[in-house]
Amino acid sequence: MKSGLLNDFMRAFQKNRQATFAAAILLGIIFFAIFAPVFATHNPTYIRLAQEQIQLPPTALHLLGTDNLGRDIWSRMLFGARISLLVGFLTMLITIIFGVAYGAVSGYYGGKLDFMMMRFVDISLSLPTIFLVIILASFFKPDFFGIAVIIGLTSWMRTARLVRGQFLSLKEEEFVTAARALGYSDCRIIFVHILPNVRALIIVNATLLVAQAVLLESALSFLGFGVQPPQFSWGSMLSASQQIIFLEEAPWTAFFPGLAIFITVLCLNFFGEGLRDAWDPKLKNIAS
Amino acid sequence: MANNKPMLSIKGLKKYFPIRAGVFSRVSGYVRAVDDISLTIYPGEVYALVGESGCGKSTTGHLIMKMLKPTTGEVIFEEQEIFSLRKREEKSLRKQVQLIFQDPYSSLNPRMTVGESIGEALEVHGIAKGEERQAKVKAVLELCGLAGYHYRRYPHEFSGGQRQRIVIARALVLEPRFIVADEPVSALDVSIQSQIINLLKELQSKMGLTYLFISHDLSVVKHMADRIAVMYLGSLVEESTKSQFYERPLHPYTQALLSAVPEWDISSRKKRIILKGDVPSPANPPAGCRFHTRCQYCMEICVQERPDLKEAAPGHLVACHLVHR
Repeated sequence: MKSGLLNDFMRAFQKNRQATFAAAILLGIIFFAIFAPVFATHNPTYIRLAQEQIQLPPTALHLLGTDNLGRDIWSRMLFGARISLLVGFLTMLITIIFGVAYGAVSGYYGGKLDFMMMRFVDISLSLPTIFLVIILASFFKPDFFGIAVIIGLTSWMRTARLVRGQFLSLKEEEFVTAARALGYSDCRIIFVHILPNVRALIIVNATLLVAQAVLLESALSFLGFGVQPPQFSWGSMLSASQQIIFLEEAPWTAFFPGLAIFITVLCLNFFGEGLRDAWDPKLKNIAS
Repeated sequence: MANNKPMLSIKGLKKYFPIRAGVFSRVSGYVRAVDDISLTIYPGEVYALVGESGCGKSTTGHLIMKMLKPTTGEVIFEEQEIFSLRKREEKSLRKQVQLIFQDPYSSLNPRMTVGESIGEALEVHGIAKGEERQAKVKAVLELCGLAGYHYRRYPHEFSGGQRQRIVIARALVLEPRFIVADEPVSALDVSIQSQIINLLKELQSKMGLTYLFISHDLSVVKHMADRIAVMYLGSLVEESTKSQFYERPLHPYTQALLSAVPEWDISSRKKRIILKGDVPSPANPPAGCRFHTRCQYCMEICVQERPDLKEAAPGHLVACHLVHR
């Protein structure tokens, strides 16, 4: 009957056109990122400093023009998507693994442990995220994996709270008492009995986390603390066009990467909300 | 029955829940959910624990299942004190003592099939795996009046009565000897109640089970119980055999409870005893006899001294100054 539940879910999801459309666009972006070498027209890191090569407007040769160092923007967009999406996805994984484990332990055991753990969450939430990320990033000069860890370290708290709340209520259910009466270990009860009942919420939360992480990575790279050359992401493409003179002379150098970030984040949010509503209409406004 | 070795005995069991208040959550008082209970249950009998909501019946059941730690007191199952057991001994206790719940909707994990829910215990306790496990689960399903093909279904596909059968099957799969049934039928329709009661009786004779049957419904208890204990505000007020209970109730509270049971036969209808007031708060129970605030026979001694649970007739214990004058 699992397939029955899945069918119900798929039907509810497909009814939501906005979310279906968003999912299609996301699949498209992922497809382009994976097959970037196929679609790229130029070497994305090849620099041409000749005056007639830099800041070219979009033409048939350079689909989206070239940037201030004469690199092809279309090709850079394709390869930049890889880092942006990878950082987003890795951050989500780190956040979910840590946040869920933290929330589960806190909620399941409760009492003093829960009190201490939740105060630590409160403290972590009170630190200004962007500054913390910048400080960590400037100390460690991270690669894209390091960036994912740093962003993950600053965004697990909401997931932990969410999961803790669910565990607090689910652990009072009689099927958990039954599991204890049957002599199951705490570990088994947490992972086999309670966690599957929180799965929907976690997946929805994960989708929204990817969106958040893509944004935060862009901000970080824009400020120059993100991935370091020769690696680049959409965010670092934006940072190349920071100076106002480039924006005046060549607005496309900033416009296209910005648009890509905007569309990706928007679609991820629509997709996440669609998942949430399809799974359980009761969850509206909880999973954010 | 009295010659038998007891299967389960409870001695001086107390469970106080702290009430916390204020910024520093200081303990400002205690809810005396279970306040000094002693009782003995012999192999093969159905021992019913009755009382109104909030009198501590379920807390007692949870204490016996080791779901809660007692404030003081002992629970001895087969000559072993359960609260001092080590991990391994506890696992073997879990095989022998099982719990049936009130609400068949929340007592099954909605994400697991019936087969998984029931069969998991066999695997955890290392009894059976794979096909052997499946065969055992199907056997216990059939024993509980379900069919083997229900194995792959999810709980939401069943009615309340069927779910209660699944819950019973899960409790029985480890072949326990003692079952705590915590209001097993009160969430069900009356027509289904009788089916489940009959099932429980049938299983008792087939598997030689002993029950602690917790209920507030005296007509259900009449069908199930061999001995009955009445609880009021965390303590036992009367314990007797079924016939003594229904024919010669001694405690005024028991008499009031029995007079409230609906009777279809007009000629045997008794005069209804209406109790004054409400149940006092278990956080602040009255001094002396717990029941004196509502008792129509209240005397001076009842206000001052708490009566002990003493024998009034063979096998008939009662805690009342009126009886033990």
